[in-house]
Order: sequence, then C-alpha cells, then structure tokens
Amino acid sequence: MEPLAECAQSERMTAMMSLALDGLLDSGDRKQLEQHMKTCATCRAEWQAMAQVAALFESSPAVGPPLGFAVRVERRLAEKSKKKRQTFGGVAVLTSSLSLVGATVAALLVIALGIAAWRWFDSSPSIQQGTQTLSQVASGMGLVGKGASLFLGDLLLRYGAPLVVVLGVGLAVLLGVWAWLIVKRPGGTHHNGFAQ
Amino acid sequence: MDEERAWVEQALQGDQAAFGHLVGAYERPVYNLTYRMLGNAAEAEDAAQETFLRAYSKLATYQPERKFVNWLLSIASHHCIDRLRRRGRAPQLSLDGPLPPMWTVSEAPRPDEVASKNEQREKVRQVLDTLPSEYRAAVILRYWHGMSYKEIAQTMKTTVSAIKSRLHRARRMMARQMQAA
Repeated sequence: MEPLAECAQSERMTAMMSLALDGLLDSGDRKQLEQHMKTCATCRAEWQAMAQVAALFESSPAVGPPLGFAVRVERRLAEKSKKKRQTFGGVAVLTSSLSLVGATVAALLVIALGIAAWRWFDSSPSIQQGTQTLSQVASGMGLVGKGASLFLGDLLLRYGAPLVVVLGVGLAVLLGVWAWLIVKRPGGTHHNGFAQ
Repeated sequence: MDEERAWVEQALQGDQAAFGHLVGAYERPVYNLTYRMLGNAAEAEDAAQETFLRAYSKLATYQPERKFVNWLLSIASHHCIDRLRRRGRAPQLSLDGPLPPMWTVSEAPRPDEVASKNEQREKVRQVLDTLPSEYRAAVILRYWHGMSYKEIAQTMKTTVSAIKSRLHRARRMMARQMQAA
C-alpha cells in the first residue's frame, strides 16, 4: 500500500481526535475536524486507526487475578509482619542490653572514681600528719582541695573529654533507638484522618 | 462505602482480616492494571501483591476524601512504572507462561472463544507495548478504569494538561502501530 503523505496539521488534528474519543471536543472544533478529514486522507486514516484501537480496548474486559490471590497476599503480609516483629525484637533486646551495660559501666566508673579519690585522700601525708593545730588543718584542707582539683583536672584532661563525648553520643543513640522502638512497636496505633 | 471506611479503620489498628476484605474488594482493578502495564501474568501477580503490601504499610497516609480504589491504583501504577524503568526495555510476554483466567469453571467458554479472546488480549498487549510506561498507565486508567482526566492526573501525580498530552501522544503512537500492522 502506498504510504500516505504527511499532513501539516496532523499534530493539531490528532489532538482534536483524542479529545473527540473522550467526548470532550466542543462543537466548533468537531466541525473543523470533520471538514479537514473530508479533504485529508492521512488524517482520515489516522482517525480510523485511533477509533480501531479504542474499539479494541473497549471490547477487552478487565482481567482478574488467578484464584486465591487474597490468600496469597494475606500470607505475604503475615510473613512480612513476622519478619518485622523479629527485627523489632532483636533491636529491642540489643538496645536493652546496651542500656544495661551502659548503666553498669557508668555505675562502676562512679564507684572506681570514688574509691580512687578516697584512697588518694587517705594516703595524703599532709592530711595524716597535720592534725596538731587549726592552721595545719586549714592548710591540710587547702592541700586536699588543691590535690583533688589537680587529680580531677588531670583525669578530665587525659580521659574526661573523650569519655564524656563517647558517653554523650552513646546516650543520644540509645535514646533515639528507644524512641524509635516506642513509635514503631508492632501493633502501635497509626494516626491519620480516620483514627479518632 | 461505610463498610470500606470501617475496614480501613480496622486495618489501621492492625486488623489484617479487615485488610483482607479490602484486598478481596479491589484485587480485580489492581491486578488488571498491573497485568495491562507489565504484560505477563506472573509479574502482574507479584506487582499486584506488592501493591497491597505497600498499601498496608502506608495506610496511615491514605486521605479518606479520595476514593480508596484510586489510591490503590496510584500505588500500583507508580510501582509498575518503576518496574518497567528497572527493566529498561519494553515488557516481553512470556508465551510459555499461563494467561490469567477470565472465566469461572461454571461458565467455561468454548475453545474457539478462548482462542479468540487470547488473540485479542495479545493484540491489546502488542499495542500497549509500543507506549512508554507513563503513557501506558494513562491509557489503561482511561479505558479500563473509566477515570476522568482529573482523576488520572491525581492518580499519576501530575497535571490535567500533562494527561491530555499523554493520551493524545499515546493514541497517535498506537494508531501508527495499528496502521503499520
């Protein structure tokens, strides 16, 4: 078959044809399209092909899924929920363990610091021997204060900053995970326009 | 409608049986869309299942003023477009794979009817196959789901003029494919 010549108005005419197929072409444009198609074989052929496609689609019924589709979806949903619960449980156990370990380490650290401070205080010669006069007591107390501040300052300078940063980050992470666990807990209530 | 709303509310509270009712009510339109988009039964089933799983997990984002089925079709069409993009090529019908059933046993058709219907379905697939995924979704929503331009635009998260243009271009491409055949 001889190929049809290109139509200069093809773009505009086919746009009108598309609207006509959806029943959205106004009467003025419809008349214009009809007039054009009387003299243009290319657009006439295009219209026939478009109408043929429309007829093919309109005569093709919607396709339904194979039997048992809903059951298969339910099964996948149950599997997904189970996996989610397992993941959630794992994260909860891990977070609880880390919190417990963190609390224990913090408690041990406090106790160790307390013991170290107490031993240092106990073995200080100025405190052991200087109990004769009030001035010695005052001097001893001054020395203790100075010693304690030096000890803590040194400790903080050496280990304090990284320790505080590590503990702070750890605490923030744990708090974040706890918040996530509470919000995302399986069976937790969703909120949208429906839930009242 | 009230029943549907109740199912959605119950599903939001984690009631999977209520969600099962929603699956039963809308499995056909969702599957039809995925089948027409992807062109083969196995992939269509998987995509339709995935649509419902996504719907369940995103149920809290559903706006009750929208039709529930349109919301589902929106999820399904975007999912199919993503799949087609990942495929990076036009869908291939697996000729060895089973075609989805159209009749129940009680109304089993004659063999010549089956052949004719299968031929028609293959023709539809070939025509749709010529379209880019976004055009294909617009055509399917228009012809098989009877959506207005506005509804298609909402479903595909675009404008009415974009849909008008997609339908025009899609029809032109399909007409040319039909003429060439």
